[in-house]
Amino acid sequence: MPVGPFGIDPAIWAPLRLVIAVLLAVGLVFNGALAQIYLERKIQAIIQDRLGPLHTGPWGLLQTFADAIKLLGKEDIRARLTDKWFFLAAPSIVFSPMLASYVVIPFAPSIVGADLNVGLLYLTTLGSMTVLGIVIAGWASNNKYSLIGGLRSAGQLISYEVPQILSLVTVVLVVGTLSMVGIAESQPGWQLNVLVLPLAFVTYFIAGLAETNRNPFDLPEAESELVAGFLTEYSGMRWAIFFLAEYGEVTVVSSIVATLWFGAWHGPFVEVFPLLGVLWFTLKTYFFVLVFMWIRATLPRLRIDQLMSLCWKILIPLTLTNLMVTAVLLLVFPTTVVPVAIANWILLALFVMVLPYVQRRRLVALRERLRTAA
Amino acid sequence: MYDFIEPALFAVLTIATIASGAGVILANRITTSALLMAFTFLNVAGMFLLLGAETVAMFQVLIYVGAITVLILYGVMFTPQSPRPYGLFFQTQKWWAALFVVPIAIFVALVSFTFRDSATLAPKGGDLLPLATSVFRDFAFPFEVASVLLLAAMVGAIVLVKRDEE
Repeated sequence: MPVGPFGIDPAIWAPLRLVIAVLLAVGLVFNGALAQIYLERKIQAIIQDRLGPLHTGPWGLLQTFADAIKLLGKEDIRARLTDKWFFLAAPSIVFSPMLASYVVIPFAPSIVGADLNVGLLYLTTLGSMTVLGIVIAGWASNNKYSLIGGLRSAGQLISYEVPQILSLVTVVLVVGTLSMVGIAESQPGWQLNVLVLPLAFVTYFIAGLAETNRNPFDLPEAESELVAGFLTEYSGMRWAIFFLAEYGEVTVVSSIVATLWFGAWHGPFVEVFPLLGVLWFTLKTYFFVLVFMWIRATLPRLRIDQLMSLCWKILIPLTLTNLMVTAVLLLVFPTTVVPVAIANWILLALFVMVLPYVQRRRLVALRERLRTAA
Repeated sequence: MYDFIEPALFAVLTIATIASGAGVILANRITTSALLMAFTFLNVAGMFLLLGAETVAMFQVLIYVGAITVLILYGVMFTPQSPRPYGLFFQTQKWWAALFVVPIAIFVALVSFTFRDSATLAPKGGDLLPLATSVFRDFAFPFEVASVLLLAAMVGAIVLVKRDEE
């Protein structure tokens, strides 16, 4: 009888591995959401000079558990005029692509669900499926505010997909592979991609903020306007699934950033103990999760027209230029990435310096037009 | 050991594709049709995966489920809904439909039953390079022409709907 890993028959191991992987992914999403909600409350509290949750358990640690149990125990309410099947299906359409993303995330050299050779494309594909769920949620609620929230959200997500994919393509051009494991392996030691492609990192991060509906781009579910957008009619566990999906999506985007620009599992002593890679990967990912929270606590929400003009007038031309410059430089200098790095840093500096100037000039022009109109 | 999985998956995907494709035409509400269409596209992507064409499958989902279906839903949601069943328009033209469908069905059946030479199929996996080579090298010119056409259509659409600003 053939013996597979852990002395288990391969015929049993193959389905067993599948079950273990799916359970692990579900566990990661649920526990990650619990941890992130606690972190979000505490970090926002610290930044805003408050205390945050304090009374349930030590340091308020059990507050999220109490909230989760409260959500589970809530009555499942569905308004009479909502569209039954669409209303029930929408949370799962948002949640399942996010869960499926965990297949290709490289936690350590050997700990990865499947090393797809189109891993990065797979992730962007799943990211684009979220839009469908949100549009359906908005429409099925049979509520004007939900509908407007859903449509706004669809516009935002589809628009920001373009700069997101263009930034990813720049990295793929330099690395030469779409496989997540391959991208991670291409950055040993200090040779991180962020040193070569800082602009792609910044544009991807901005687009990622918009893709996950986080501040300052959280218009789709703006709690204080549009009565929470497409989430208006949802309550209890269905509402919780939307938020699980959002926190999961934040983790996925952070882990893409950690993999593409910061070397995934690479870190000290990984060669000796490969399992240490999981620790480095988690630390890097959660660092970016914390940056997400930091931004949420710091920046105000953008208006919808500002959001769209940032995407179409600034991010897309910039990422396109970046892509073209990178491609040309890689063709001219096929052996070294130093020219690409120099061009990228220059573009980044231009972006940071010119953006406030452009915005100010546009504001002045707008005021001028309003004055002449009045 | 698990050889039965692939035919089983193929069976499931085939039935789901045909059933949801029929649902697209038969459903009375246009939103149901749109969602079922997305489901059909997903199943077709699954077919591509079974054939070892991962890249095509990914683009299928990215473009057809992620963009086109959303665009259709977007259009549907901005138009007022009347209680009239939308499907009726298509369901009253049975004979015309049969006239067009039957020759195509016969042709497809003939092709699929004569196509038995599976030995020439390429090994599975890694369709990224062949796809990129054919699109950007062998057929670069048709590809560019198609993109110019799309661009022209897009500019035309914008010009048509743009209102004159004061």
